[in-house]
Amino acid sequence: VRASAGAAVSNTGVAPLLGLPVTVAPDPAAVWAGDLLASLGADVLTAEQMPLLVGPDAAVGRRRSSEGEEWARSGAMVLTGRTDGPALPAPGTPAVAARGAAFAFRVLAGRALAGLDGARLLGERAALAGLVRRGTISPGGGCRLLPTADGTVALSLARADDDALVGALIEAEVGTGAGWERAAAWLRGVGGAAAAERAALLGLPCAVVPAGGAETACADRGSDGTGGCAPWRLTRLGPASPGRATRRPLVLDLSSLWAGPLCAQLLGLAGARVVKVESTGRPDGARAGNRALYDLLHAGHESVALDLGSPRGRADLLRLIRAADVVVDSSRPRALRQLGVVAEDLVAARPGLTWVAISAYGRSHPWAERPGYGDDVAAAAGLVARDRSGHVFAGDAIADPLTGLHAAVAALASVRAGGGVLLDVGMYAVARACLAGGPPGRSDPAPAHPPLVAAPVSRPVPGAAAAPGVDTARVLTAL
Amino acid sequence: VTVALTTGMRLRSQVCDTEVIVVRPPGRELVLTCGGAPLIGIAATAGAGLSLDPALAGGALLGKRYTSADEPSLEVLVTKGGDGTLAEGRNPLVLKEARPLPASD
Repeated sequence: VRASAGAAVSNTGVAPLLGLPVTVAPDPAAVWAGDLLASLGADVLTAEQMPLLVGPDAAVGRRRSSEGEEWARSGAMVLTGRTDGPALPAPGTPAVAARGAAFAFRVLAGRALAGLDGARLLGERAALAGLVRRGTISPGGGCRLLPTADGTVALSLARADDDALVGALIEAEVGTGAGWERAAAWLRGVGGAAAAERAALLGLPCAVVPAGGAETACADRGSDGTGGCAPWRLTRLGPASPGRATRRPLVLDLSSLWAGPLCAQLLGLAGARVVKVESTGRPDGARAGNRALYDLLHAGHESVALDLGSPRGRADLLRLIRAADVVVDSSRPRALRQLGVVAEDLVAARPGLTWVAISAYGRSHPWAERPGYGDDVAAAAGLVARDRSGHVFAGDAIADPLTGLHAAVAALASVRAGGGVLLDVGMYAVARACLAGGPPGRSDPAPAHPPLVAAPVSRPVPGAAAAPGVDTARVLTAL
Repeated sequence: VTVALTTGMRLRSQVCDTEVIVVRPPGRELVLTCGGAPLIGIAATAGAGLSLDPALAGGALLGKRYTSADEPSLEVLVTKGGDGTLAEGRNPLVLKEARPLPASD
């Protein structure tokens, strides 16, 4: 019996887990994990069993749960709602999806990773940075839900000098610090779609929140012939190199902020060697953010810094990529292309490479080149909560941890099969997949006792991240 | 034709695909050109008989910001890439450094 009650996921015919036997219990998170693994080719059977998910090398999940319980204990629910109002439920099954993705990852990793609780990763940044729910302002403060003439948009002004771009957006001089106020006033007089188009010209993340929220967000599911809102798209571009699957993989982390580094960190927990690569002129901005989060996501990784403005630096980057088994990047496709780094060509040229391309909307989406962050992309997908007064953010940049977790599952599956794959993971697609998996959450009977709404917690921070570039000479010499 | 450059104004090249938006207007009057011909309003019609000047065909990169060495308060953002060189008159604009990544989202 194929698992089918949870996530509706599929890919484009690349099946790295072909024939891998997995059994899942009828638990929402285990079913989610089973659907993810089935979409990667695994042979998934259902059985009444404990542990909830059993693969050839590992068995995980010792407690049944529902979306309601998982959302409440994830720490994300506390981050959802207005400051002076109650903590709210989210649409769809984001917490079950996070828990299920971690189940799937643990089964593939074949290691205990017993402390890895997927749902709790949703609240991890808030726990470390002391963030709280603020209704229409994201917990991190970089994104707001703002009314337009015909609905609501999510606008991110994440950088210090975004006020100048607001000026260009609204065609007026905008003083430093006045960006939010002026943008909000302008948006009230324009349609959301037109505002989003104009913001896209300027590279400002701005997206219309679907009016029906989760109910309509996935109405076009199946239009791509896959039968589901897939969280990823795998494309075989080069030959697999099965021999590579047997040695310790080298992961090159070119990504920044949260989703990509989380994916790389999880691969590191599964045993990979992780080398973070940054541009000397433009390091990961998260280094200037919450220090504990940066340390948590990068402790134990080597750090290489290259001057990507110089031919030498770009040549070194290409050498590193040719030595890697996995590349994780989270830039817009054109950013690397402008440096002469073309993911598709590199996967085709280098047998065994897995390229994890994380972006806001996904490489095959018409908005492939639009920027986006975890809060605005989740809102664009309809992954927002609501109360009588309107939409409020669900969790903290929730598309980020959901994407990092899901990308890690497919990346590990590809590595097991020897790579040769471009893995296109749009944060938008991940958020939509979490909304499409409605049945497990919605069909839950109301719990007899309301679940305990837990504060966000973080995994222990194991040490400090390497300073930028401390390993550059050694890593380049060893190649 | 001289157009006064104002914040948010969208302009296009007459001789290639380049389009820009004015993020920060210059502090004085200046004539922005691309490929040797003045930029015009996004909806305006290109002049007849103009062609890309091979001496000013270095290209304008999508998503990059340019300024003038002589007038650093100017900032234009390329919203559509093209073959022409953005210039003040015949004096090429310079690429501004990429903006730093945000610290969080």
